[in-house]
Amino acid sequence: MPAILTRHTDDPEQTELDVAQRRGAYDGLREALSRSPDEVIAEVEASGLRGRGGAGFPTGRKWSFIRPVPGQPVYLLCNADESEPGTFKDHYLLRRDPHLVLEGIAIAAYAIRAHTAYIYMRGEYASLAEIMAKAIREAQGAGILGESCLGSGYDLRVSIQLGAGAYICGEETGLIQSLEGKRAYPRVRPPFPAVHGFLDSPTVINNVETLANLPFIMTEGAARFAALGTDRSPGTKLISISGAVARPGVYEVEMGYPLLELLRHEAGGVRLGRRLKAVIPGGTSVPVLTAEEAAPVMIDYESMQAAGTLLGSGGTIVFDEGTSMPEALLRIAEFYAHESCGECTPCREGTGWMAWVLRRLVQGEGRPGDLDLLLRVGHNIEGRTICGLGDASVQPVRSFIQKFREEFEALLPREALAAPAWQMHGHGPRTGRFGPPGEEAALSDPVEGPPNAAL
Amino acid sequence: MPLVTIDGRQIEVEQGTSVIQAADRLGVEIPRFCYHPDLRPEGNCRMCLVEVDGYARPVVACATPVADGMVVHSPHESATASQAVNGVLEFLLVNHPLDCPICDQAGECSLQDFYMHPDYGLHESHVDPAEKVHKHKRVDLGPRIVLDAERCVMCSRCVRFSAEVSGYAEVQFVRRGNRVELVTFEDRALEDPYAGNLADVCPVGALTSRDFRFKRRVWHLESTDAICAGCSTGCNVRIDHFKGKIERVVPRRNPSVNRSWICDEGRLSHEKAQGQDRLLHPRGADGGELSWSEAIARADALLRGGRAGVPGRALLLGSASATNESLLLLRRFGELAFTQRTMDFRLGNEPELVDAREDHLLRRRDKHPNTMGAIHLGFAAQEGGLPLHVRAAEHDAYAALLLVYHPPLVGDESPEAAGALERLIRAVPASVVLTSHRLPFLEAATLLLPVAAWAEEEGTYTNYQGAVQFTGQALRAPGAARSAVAILADLLERVTLRRPDTSPKTLFVELAQAVPAYQGLSFATLSSRSAIAYPPEGRMHYGQEGFAGR
Repeated sequence: MPAILTRHTDDPEQTELDVAQRRGAYDGLREALSRSPDEVIAEVEASGLRGRGGAGFPTGRKWSFIRPVPGQPVYLLCNADESEPGTFKDHYLLRRDPHLVLEGIAIAAYAIRAHTAYIYMRGEYASLAEIMAKAIREAQGAGILGESCLGSGYDLRVSIQLGAGAYICGEETGLIQSLEGKRAYPRVRPPFPAVHGFLDSPTVINNVETLANLPFIMTEGAARFAALGTDRSPGTKLISISGAVARPGVYEVEMGYPLLELLRHEAGGVRLGRRLKAVIPGGTSVPVLTAEEAAPVMIDYESMQAAGTLLGSGGTIVFDEGTSMPEALLRIAEFYAHESCGECTPCREGTGWMAWVLRRLVQGEGRPGDLDLLLRVGHNIEGRTICGLGDASVQPVRSFIQKFREEFEALLPREALAAPAWQMHGHGPRTGRFGPPGEEAALSDPVEGPPNAAL
Repeated sequence: MPLVTIDGRQIEVEQGTSVIQAADRLGVEIPRFCYHPDLRPEGNCRMCLVEVDGYARPVVACATPVADGMVVHSPHESATASQAVNGVLEFLLVNHPLDCPICDQAGECSLQDFYMHPDYGLHESHVDPAEKVHKHKRVDLGPRIVLDAERCVMCSRCVRFSAEVSGYAEVQFVRRGNRVELVTFEDRALEDPYAGNLADVCPVGALTSRDFRFKRRVWHLESTDAICAGCSTGCNVRIDHFKGKIERVVPRRNPSVNRSWICDEGRLSHEKAQGQDRLLHPRGADGGELSWSEAIARADALLRGGRAGVPGRALLLGSASATNESLLLLRRFGELAFTQRTMDFRLGNEPELVDAREDHLLRRRDKHPNTMGAIHLGFAAQEGGLPLHVRAAEHDAYAALLLVYHPPLVGDESPEAAGALERLIRAVPASVVLTSHRLPFLEAATLLLPVAAWAEEEGTYTNYQGAVQFTGQALRAPGAARSAVAILADLLERVTLRRPDTSPKTLFVELAQAVPAYQGLSFATLSSRSAIAYPPEGRMHYGQEGFAGR
């Protein structure tokens, strides 16, 4: 399998500058610096590289939105706040080939005419921050970064900022807010970061893996990159696979590689010889696939979309036949309820509400209509929030319930399937509360459920 | 300019106008919590979702700029928007304690009002009260504000006010998700001298004002539009009162004077105006109470020695806290009653301070609401000031003194001014003092006449900008106290033998004629909602264009 990102990651010495340089580290940067920034952007656009953070937006095009304003700096922010559950691919790169990431940062910064770059790293990656800081020091000491990178006359300062452990800081405007020292409340767009980003200046935010692809594109050329993978999803993808597999870990695969092939071959198959039940292919924010649905799926943006899910971050979570899907979903919903930043209403209240309902369901205290309630709450979150966290929280809830509904229904107490909620729990529709006791029952049809169930 | 259609009605607005601003101008009601016309939009409550033709999803009206040809549907006519807004409303109520019966905000609560709206409210609850998230209640945020975090909708208006407007940046959210709570930095008490506005901007019962908590249900209150008399800024306020007592004073929006804010000193100044030390009856030098007819007769005799006219000079000392209308009558009385007269109002250096800021926001150093009006009416036309008059009086320059006095509502009278007034009163043989309060330095007056205090008398004040603003009468003056206009009209009647017309409208027409700067003002524009009659910035300041009456 062709490798772009993991060519040298097996060697622990690769973190040393001289070792990395013997293997061609910073050749891509030298190549980039010999061209104009616009030529670099054109090369990356031609490569078809798409953002590896989850959205898959074409990297070259994202850069081309930057319109430098005289007297105003441009910033490059490297998003190393890898927090999506099931995702640990950036961790792998940062730990094993920091100079590859740093070289990518320098190429991107040069292309967008930034002289300051920040690596925003999640707080839990403090040990990686030390590795990265050492790499920066080495590169600066060697004249690769800092003033006049590689003698080109181009200056670049790279700094690391550690987060404090909030998922929302990986959302690009949340990241900007946090980097500015503010509470990471995402910003309403427009304006987009390309126009008003960090410190109100034009800003590009790229994922670690995205940046790590750039040295290859610069040294080998856009055409060789584009030849890898599929037409619309060129290159390779790092997949971090976890859950019920024999060999969880990070694997680099060519785009278009069959998902189940990765599972069976690289990851060693479902562990303990069990049967596959479901796969979340791109981090918990994307819809789950049943084993059946996963069978024809390839690891590329289009194939995933055709299957009704997303490649996302490539964080692949495998569930075997012994997994309780409601319990798994509860864990995921609790994550989003915990990580919702609380800025906008639908996500703040909706994620907590979904987690609450799922919890009682899993505890055997579900109520009639709870599954429809969950779907309705999800509907009221989706598309109504400031950032994508709200939508992300809805995808697992909806797909789990749609695809494994019997498992959820089996958790409902038998009587809950028949009796209206307020007869069990002593609270009911507003109309009934003011009448004499006994009238409440008359208001509802015990079979059809509460009159407002459709709301 | 972009032409936008909202609910079938069209309006042309400036580039950059948001959909919610356009809707407000059209009078199309868009529900909102976080949007506030004087704060930067943040778009967090999602309550102002509207449907826009050509947009896949509902958008927030507060953060969406209008585009030419945009067609917007509010929740009143769009089922999509209505459903979206109802979804948001339901979310806001998921963890709300529903304690309206004991909540001070009830009756003026956005959450309550929106829930009762048939176009997007009135849904059935799907939440068991036992399941709600609990947060801190009755949190003391200092002397002015109490927080109930469970009622908070996290709209961040208070956070933005504190950061953007007052600049104290003392409140912020902590924690995440549905555990988010408002706190002050390190739980310290608010130091912001504008903290009272936090309760005003709060659309729900989360932040309540300590001076109003549990005093009165808001639907029992009567409201009167007025102008704060605490300083020369002239903030527009609304006086909420019940059975002759002011229960609270809140700001009224006026973009060119005070936007939506008032300072805490102004907010609480009514407590002083209504204080116990009021003068309730006319009182002679012997301390005996007089009827008004006796008092007016005695005042006339003291000031003019009957109809013969005083042999010496009279000093007419107006007040920068008196209305333009009463100053107009005082001036006319002076002109008609005395051949030799000196008119002044300066107790200190008000004309120099009238424009001086005390802080970056609203407060000014001149603690009088109508210094500008007194200047316009010619009360500072001559060299003067209290010390000069005291010296003159002690050299027997004045035979009679007519003084109108209101204690400042913010702060106390300066000891120098109080001392000088006392010396002046003792030095002039006949002194008639109109005062709202009993004050030791006025006790020596030959005759004390009780006059209405702030909020007990209607009329106009001219603020530091030269804006003539109407202030209403919320309360009846206590005891036998009467408005300065009524008292001065009585005195004038003694001179002219004809009762002057003291209706506000007539007086204002006369005022507009008497002051060149006020020409063209009409009572109708004055009593309009904005109450701004004359707001030209930078004009008619002291020492510039000529003063009327010079």
